Amino acid sequence: MSAPFLEARDVRVTIGGTPILHGADLSASAGELVAVVGPNGAGKSTLARAAAGLQSIAGGTVTWNGEDVKRLRGRALARTRAFVPQRARVPDGVTVLEAVRIGRSPHVRPLQRLVAADHEAVDRAMERAGVAAFAGRQLATLSGGELQRVQIAVGLAQETPVLIADEPTSALDLGATAGLARLLRDLVEHHGMAVVLVVHDLALAAAVADTVVVVSEGRTVATGPPADVLTSERLAEVWHVDAALDATGGRTALHVDWLCGTSPGGSPPH
Amino acid sequence: MAVASPPVRPARRFARQGAVLACATFALVASVAASMSLGAVDVPLGTVIDALRGTAEEGPLKEIVTQLRLPRTVSAIFVGAGLGVAGALLQGALANPLASPDVIGVTGGSAFGAMLVLLAFPGSIALLPVGALAFGLLASAIVFGIAWTGVNRGGIQRLILAGIAISALFGAGTMTLMTAYPDRVQSAVFWMAGGITTTGWEDMRAVWPYFAAGFAITLAMPRALDRLSLGDDVAASLGSRPAVIRLVAGLAAALLAASAAAIAGLLTFIGLVIPHLVRMAGGTSRHGFVIPASAVAGAALLVTGDTLARVILAPRELPVGPFMVVLGVPLFLWLLRRQ
Repeated sequence: MSAPFLEARDVRVTIGGTPILHGADLSASAGELVAVVGPNGAGKSTLARAAAGLQSIAGGTVTWNGEDVKRLRGRALARTRAFVPQRARVPDGVTVLEAVRIGRSPHVRPLQRLVAADHEAVDRAMERAGVAAFAGRQLATLSGGELQRVQIAVGLAQETPVLIADEPTSALDLGATAGLARLLRDLVEHHGMAVVLVVHDLALAAAVADTVVVVSEGRTVATGPPADVLTSERLAEVWHVDAALDATGGRTALHVDWLCGTSPGGSPPH
Repeated sequence: MAVASPPVRPARRFARQGAVLACATFALVASVAASMSLGAVDVPLGTVIDALRGTAEEGPLKEIVTQLRLPRTVSAIFVGAGLGVAGALLQGALANPLASPDVIGVTGGSAFGAMLVLLAFPGSIALLPVGALAFGLLASAIVFGIAWTGVNRGGIQRLILAGIAISALFGAGTMTLMTAYPDRVQSAVFWMAGGITTTGWEDMRAVWPYFAAGFAITLAMPRALDRLSLGDDVAASLGSRPAVIRLVAGLAAALLAASAAAIAGLLTFIGLVIPHLVRMAGGTSRHGFVIPASAVAGAALLVTGDTLARVILAPRELPVGPFMVVLGVPLFLWLLRRQ
């Protein structure tokens, strides 16, 4: 794996006077899928947004290929990383093709039209995300799984080396989740992209991720391969549950003793 | 990876959009011809064309065409196009189909400015367009000022609530003026109803730079508004600043709507309904289509309404504002049922 393309170090974020992140780290390299996990309110999404340059930071550094995110503006940033939000707006009267074309706009100069290379990039993005078959349909008529794929196609049309997706599977059923997991894995393995995936489902994170970043109470508390990081001790410490990750033969499961969790008021992790 | 198959190119949608644009353009050309030719005195089209080319004989017909009907028709085109575009900009920028120039305070401010001149300073009636323009822009500037300061600045809800509050404030001012000068209110009713008057080029001469600025800013907006249509996060992912897009679109809309109010009073219906009409007819919300089509359709609707209002009970003129609502609502409801 090459040197990290994205490096976020000791990131601090305060929103409306409330500190959300106080010392979070995140890095991602080409050909790596990084899963950011953690309890509700731990600051996972905020970390992803800060890394993407969507959230201003009060301290620490975020660099993209060595360049400070604060210096990357507008189109330059849009050609460096794509951010797929948790739930994007679904406007009326916009087709899949039109939406993916909008995703191409960082490559199109103001007042100019899309050229042949742009149309090819749009077609490629739709093909990779598996939405080409319904390119002419209106967004408002799509299922949740189809919509999420369109959102990723919009990001892919940006043709960035890194894709950041904020809980893309949170509203999807099992089949759609698995489909999306295969899609993200394909981007990493066959197209050399780096993918940062904010995700709640630890079994899914363990299955798709090369690296898992555990965020708890605004800090990164562990980073590493899923099996090393998602230990029973850490699950107890961070999520206050008695659980064990089982990863054998490409299948993952989280065995949870649902009704015998440890007290949520336990000592905070460091 | 799946084998690549050519994605569907929805050529039919583009054909439909082209047809809508062509129909609107035809309606505009036809309505302009009618507006120049019909009225209390009918002028043959040949004479109209000769008068415009400067080859017509001197006489009352030439005077009517060049001194009365041409400025009136050009004003109607600018006002109709301006209101259509203002509505399209705001509905896109605020992601709200109910948005119209009322929302950002322009209408309330312009009404107050006009009433101030009409009721408190009736001797300075020439200042009417300036008053409407200035107070329309002032009201929207206050709305933007409130919406763009403090925490979470530039948010849609902040902007709409600020607009409602400032509109109420100027509305109270207008009511106060009307109760202070009840004997003069009659002169204000026609302005309130909205309509183009035959005042030559004077109003347009004062207002055209603001129209021009509004339209010029609009040229840069379609793609930015498309990005915004997918939500603030996607727009930011694509390198835009959502709050800035909303501010610039709102500024252009304020310029256009205040200029329109300065010339034609309160014709709020066009700004609300035309963009809907255009989206429903074209089957797309793409701003590269909606904005120009709203301009052409808005101009066509106002020129048609103005001409009919002049012709139906000639030489009496019907109030254009209410008349146009009567004209547009059945068409709107018909499209709404089909959607």
